[in-house]
Amino acid sequence: MLHNFYKVMLCAWLVGGSSASAEQLQADKLLATINASLDVIYAEGTSGVSDQEKQSQVRQKVEANYDLDVIIRRAIGRNWQLMDDGERTQVLELVKQLVLKAYVNGLKGKTRPEVTLGKLVVITDKRMEIESTVVLDGKTYYVLYRLGRVSSGWQIYDIVAENVSVVSNYREQLDDHFRRGNAAELIARLQEILEKEDIDEDTKI
Amino acid sequence: MKIQKFNPITWLAALASLICASALSAQVTNLTEDESFFYEDVSPANDVFDPLEAINRYTFQFNDFVYLKVFDPLVAGYTAITPDPVERGASNFFQNLRYPVRLAGNLLQGRLKGAWVETGRFAINSTVGLAGILRPADTMEAFAPIKPEDVGQALASWGIGEGPYLVLPLLGPSNLRDLGGLVGDRAVNPLKEPYSVISHWNWEWQLALTGTELIARSPSMMEQYKSFKGTAIDPYSSMRNGYTQFRRGAVEE
Repeated sequence: MLHNFYKVMLCAWLVGGSSASAEQLQADKLLATINASLDVIYAEGTSGVSDQEKQSQVRQKVEANYDLDVIIRRAIGRNWQLMDDGERTQVLELVKQLVLKAYVNGLKGKTRPEVTLGKLVVITDKRMEIESTVVLDGKTYYVLYRLGRVSSGWQIYDIVAENVSVVSNYREQLDDHFRRGNAAELIARLQEILEKEDIDEDTKI
Repeated sequence: MKIQKFNPITWLAALASLICASALSAQVTNLTEDESFFYEDVSPANDVFDPLEAINRYTFQFNDFVYLKVFDPLVAGYTAITPDPVERGASNFFQNLRYPVRLAGNLLQGRLKGAWVETGRFAINSTVGLAGILRPADTMEAFAPIKPEDVGQALASWGIGEGPYLVLPLLGPSNLRDLGGLVGDRAVNPLKEPYSVISHWNWEWQLALTGTELIARSPSMMEQYKSFKGTAIDPYSSMRNGYTQFRRGAVEE
């Protein structure tokens, strides 16, 4: 009887232990991806590298570990059904370029941010959240990574910076867009944002 | 008892509804697990009450023009001629002066620990930190920076709803509750009317101080504004959602 009890305890410990280390593995993978992306921007000898080249290298680092389609599909939501296959492919690609451009441009001229992962919260066997702090130019920001297990494995499905969810923000913009416009107009708008050098080019009252 | 007469039109309509409903249900159940996940509702911040959207959009466009065409060149000039430590010091100085607003925000919500930390920070930064230019309190564990509280957050903690979303001329995104909070913030701010301690100064000096505060606090705000606008598909929607999420998060904390 006691022998069986010990066996059960051993199994529970092994299963629990392996699950905990699987979760820790996700945290390690996340931190490694963030650091690899920052290395591209801040490594010595990158001052001569063009922004586009940096964006491309960051993309390679991120896509080696995560499928960016997941977070973009979450942002698009049901608007996905309002696009044909060609438009979907184009929108996915343009949004990826937009995110990478924002990331590389956003860090331009700044010292390398210090990223520290905090508490890992397992919500269900398919959802977890990893807290982090980012110290950038002396200021501390709180960033939460939401990870979900989908058919392609554990993927980032939302990033919440200082209480603002990136997915919720883009979902609202896209919902508003599709209430008034269509996929072709969205593609044109994304291309316009990507091509713009200065954001105040079209500012007028 | 009256027996209802068979009506073929009603019957056909019912049959059609049944077919539509089952087709719809089949469509929904045919979604893969991934698709269901992608289509989930994401946040209640996506249904902000915005009955004044037409006016708000116009005000947003006006503010955008002023920020980028008038304000941004001024801020760029200021950052170009001001060494970084001076820029940081000026920003810290004005941040320190807003202590009464943060204190009131904490006290009105019964956050005594927050009020204590803010008071300690103010005392340390105002003395050791040379009138708030430096922030030595940041290095002390007991007085490390905490999230700033304001009167708008206090109103929310009393159960007052957000009210309609508003875009205020020059000040930017807000809502009716936060507009009330803004009035409260001014009332406890020693540099602002109606209880200003500098009200006996000449208007030129008052204007100079207000202008300096605005410029000193602006470089980081302008940077954030430009970075948000540069990646927005619909900048108005993005700002409305971002502001609402940010404020709701601040209230919940």
